[in-house]
Amino acid sequence: MNCEQMHERLPDYLVDDLDESERTQAHLHLSACPRCRETADRFLEIWRKLEMLSAEEPGVALRARFDAMLEAYTQGLGEARTDALRQRFDRWIGGFWPRRPAYQVGLCSLFLLLGLAIGHIVKSRPSANGELAELRQEVHNMYQLVTLSLLQQQSASERIRGLSWSQRVSQPDPQVLSALLQVLDYDPNANVRLAAVDALQQFSDQSMVRQGLVQALTRQSSPLVQIALIDLLVQIQEKRSVDTFKRMIADENLNDAVKQRAERALKQLS
Amino acid sequence: MLEVRDGDVTKLGLLFERYQAALFNFFLRLTGNRQTSEDLVQDVFFRMLKYRHTYQDGSDFTTWMYQIARNVRFDCFRKRKREVMLNEEENERVSPGPGPGEKLEREQELVLLRGALARLPEEKREVLVLSRFQNLKYDQIAKILCCDVGTVKVRVYRAVRELGEIFFRLSGERVS
Repeated sequence: MNCEQMHERLPDYLVDDLDESERTQAHLHLSACPRCRETADRFLEIWRKLEMLSAEEPGVALRARFDAMLEAYTQGLGEARTDALRQRFDRWIGGFWPRRPAYQVGLCSLFLLLGLAIGHIVKSRPSANGELAELRQEVHNMYQLVTLSLLQQQSASERIRGLSWSQRVSQPDPQVLSALLQVLDYDPNANVRLAAVDALQQFSDQSMVRQGLVQALTRQSSPLVQIALIDLLVQIQEKRSVDTFKRMIADENLNDAVKQRAERALKQLS
Repeated sequence: MLEVRDGDVTKLGLLFERYQAALFNFFLRLTGNRQTSEDLVQDVFFRMLKYRHTYQDGSDFTTWMYQIARNVRFDCFRKRKREVMLNEEENERVSPGPGPGEKLEREQELVLLRGALARLPEEKREVLVLSRFQNLKYDQIAKILCCDVGTVKVRVYRAVRELGEIFFRLSGERVS
């Protein structure tokens, strides 16, 4: 090995990356060449001195910053994927949408008809319809049960609540109607009876109710309830009440206000 | 890194744990500034995420990482227009106080060494840091610097020679 080759090998010599024969040749040359030996020694000395510059540790905040960055990136990545999917969907939809307004109107009409057809099919499905009817019947029964239960309460206000519950029953059973009529006939509280008149007004198309209302008029003693009943019978144009009105007018003990109202009612119905 | 590239980006945390100190010291020895070095480390890992698709099967991760690190530092240098050199303030940080003779001598030597390294031209300092401190082999450095192994060895030779000249000159000035 000559001096030039020795200088070429110095970087490998520093990191001890010479093979066995190269190392032997280098040692031989260095022992024979004082200039190369001096250079190599200086190189090795400075190379080893660099070891003094020990590594430092980064601050703990670096890890926290990295974690925050990674989290933000991951979140952004998720949103970007969603956006990309949305754009793809928009493009896909856009591909179907015609550019000419006439076609657009045509397509809209088609979708409208399709929607109507689907709605019709769904509505006519027996199973869904049957389930819905069943559910309605159950709710209906529940309302009737609550009404009947409240009408039997001791408290007048509870009985009035029962009467208001009856308003929710669209087509009550005879059992409920007779309970309402019974309240009208026999309830000791005039306010409750008055509320019963209002409640029965909703079902005045039923003959059982109409007949009950006429009969109830003869049983009432409270002028307030009597007037309310006369008003209702006139309103529903119940002709069968005419005889009752006549009897009332003939009754000398009847309240004047009631009598006047009965006279007016008689004129209205005849 | 392959898992990160294929979508499991949370795995980057493991790589960060393993390489953050090495990268930090790489930048610290080149810039002399802790804050800048930490910023650059952060930037390297961000670019790893951003350009993860460029990582190829069978690639040497360390080489790829230092290639990114060099680019990050180069961009930072270009942005700031000036490099933060290993400055006097940094040297003063380890300047010797009163103490026993041997310790004092060692600390003085350390100051001189830092000073000599700071005076070394950029290109030579970089190759020295990669080979001496980052423990990379010459063929790895050649890939990072995009040159052949021979060129790396020549640069190392020149860098060590120049560092020695500066160091011994500074030592002579201190003695005289």
